[in-house]
Amino acid sequence: MAIAASASVGRANRRREVPWIERYINILGPLVMILTLCLVMAFADPRFFRVQNIMIILQDASIYMVLAMGMTLVITGRGIDLSIGSVAALAAVVMAMLIKDVGVNVYVAMLIAVLVGLACGFMNGFVITKLRVPDLIATLSMDLVFRGFALVLAAGVVLARFPDPLVWLGRGRVFEVVPVAAIVGITVLVIGFVIYRYTPLGRYAVAIGGNTEAAVLTGIDVTRHKMFQYMLMGGLAGLAGVMLTGRLNAIQATAGMGLTLHTIAAVVVGGTTLFGGRGSMAGSLVGVLLLSMVVNALVLLRLDFFWQQVAAGVIIITSVAFYAALQDPGKGGVSGLVRRLGGGAR
Amino acid sequence: MDQPPLSVEPLLTMTGIAKHFGGVMAVQDVDLTLGRGEVVAIVGDNGAGKSTLIKVLTGVHVPDEGVITLEGRQVSITSKRASQALGIEAVYQDLGLVDTLDAAGNVFLGHELKRYILGIPFLRNARMAEEAARVLKENVGIELEDITVPTHNLSGGQRQAVAIARAIYNTDLKILVMDEPTAALGPEETRNTLKLMRRLKDQGISLIVISHNLDHVFAVADRVMVMRGGRVAATLDCKSSTKQDVLAHIIAATDGNVAA
Repeated sequence: MAIAASASVGRANRRREVPWIERYINILGPLVMILTLCLVMAFADPRFFRVQNIMIILQDASIYMVLAMGMTLVITGRGIDLSIGSVAALAAVVMAMLIKDVGVNVYVAMLIAVLVGLACGFMNGFVITKLRVPDLIATLSMDLVFRGFALVLAAGVVLARFPDPLVWLGRGRVFEVVPVAAIVGITVLVIGFVIYRYTPLGRYAVAIGGNTEAAVLTGIDVTRHKMFQYMLMGGLAGLAGVMLTGRLNAIQATAGMGLTLHTIAAVVVGGTTLFGGRGSMAGSLVGVLLLSMVVNALVLLRLDFFWQQVAAGVIIITSVAFYAALQDPGKGGVSGLVRRLGGGAR
Repeated sequence: MDQPPLSVEPLLTMTGIAKHFGGVMAVQDVDLTLGRGEVVAIVGDNGAGKSTLIKVLTGVHVPDEGVITLEGRQVSITSKRASQALGIEAVYQDLGLVDTLDAAGNVFLGHELKRYILGIPFLRNARMAEEAARVLKENVGIELEDITVPTHNLSGGQRQAVAIARAIYNTDLKILVMDEPTAALGPEETRNTLKLMRRLKDQGISLIVISHNLDHVFAVADRVMVMRGGRVAATLDCKSSTKQDVLAHIIAATDGNVAA
């Protein structure tokens, strides 16, 4: 080929058409896995598709939906919050004690739980932005602090049997079918979607996560927005604590230990990258649903509870690998991935 | 220091600017004048103080000493916002783009168009996409096939166009600072960028350009300021001097008034 011609070809190639699939690239991996799972379950155990079972899945997913909304924003802003499990427990313990020991009105107590979460988020944000402790270390340490407070307050007691409104939020059903908690979870994620796409708060989370220096140079108040992200995350963790208490109709200081990593896993599976600047609320919804569906399937198949851990790990790696492969046009996108998987299986 | 005759009324003067970081003097006793619609290039080795000087102008660094006047009035530029409010914008070497956002998101970054519903600010994404496409076409002379793709999918020249569109969208833009605008571009895109710079100059916008490439400097600049060791080594008129003259000042060939 003539040199002049090859030069112009190179230019044309670089400005390649962006395939439509790239817009949905973040949820493609988990969607494929959901379909695969459905296919497997169709043969293994059709009870999986019963309305009652689907509602159980939604019920289980609801708390993670609430947490994933905040986590998506935090991770998009190149942060991470490892304290949410403890924030949920602390908020729930405070609420439970107010109801049981002080006799505070249940609605007021629920509101206070969310405010406790907000305050925890504020402290996280303060440690990160003002004391300049890296997000990971700050929230890891604050996780210990919040958990410690919850343990001290509850003093080893399990608080149980709460007023109806709280239990209704946790395990009630609308029309005796749809879990109230799932409606709350999906509403929160929809609000998150709007915040992410259509408000400066979401836009600046992307900017801060994508290029912090550029965000600073354009005059974006990074401190304020990071504070907001962590406070929102904290408030939602407080809400998750309320929902958890309602579902169990009991709470203890050691509750919610697994919430944090499960939430982060769901968000990452949904295509939000830990490097910041890129995330998706819709992806987080899909990620949360996938993890809850897998847990449910394992229960139906009577596999040991602990296999959940293995499954979650495998799912995260599969999604992220899928995502990485799709993002690398040099490797031929989806067909390239199939080729390489085929080559590897030989 | 020498004052070359100005053919146009000075828009900006920086006098006796000094800035140090800890014990390190980044710039010292630097004077700079810039006329309306004038293009001044700043050249010099790495660490000569070029970047520090323009960051003083754009409010990233607050100078330890010195006076800045704009249109005859003394101004204090203590933040990026303050410099933007005065009509000073910068396009940095790394372009300062958020590459996961699309062109419109970048053009409007930091001053998005909003609509308030119940006191909550909502982004006017469709309107911003339209406006960004218009500014890119009319002021920068570039059309993107798809304005909604993240900018990391664009070429170097297109990304720079987005960065410049962001700078000039500021409607009252008086001074545009460009840090190494041609460093990462191919020959064709470099030509387009130089053309664009002349276009901005014709619109009455003053440019301060940092560049290592003297060909490009002489293609667009009216004057060249040579910096060395945080000080101004010389200011030369492009019409009456040569690249060799500039080069001599950069590498500090024997010159009486430099050391003083």
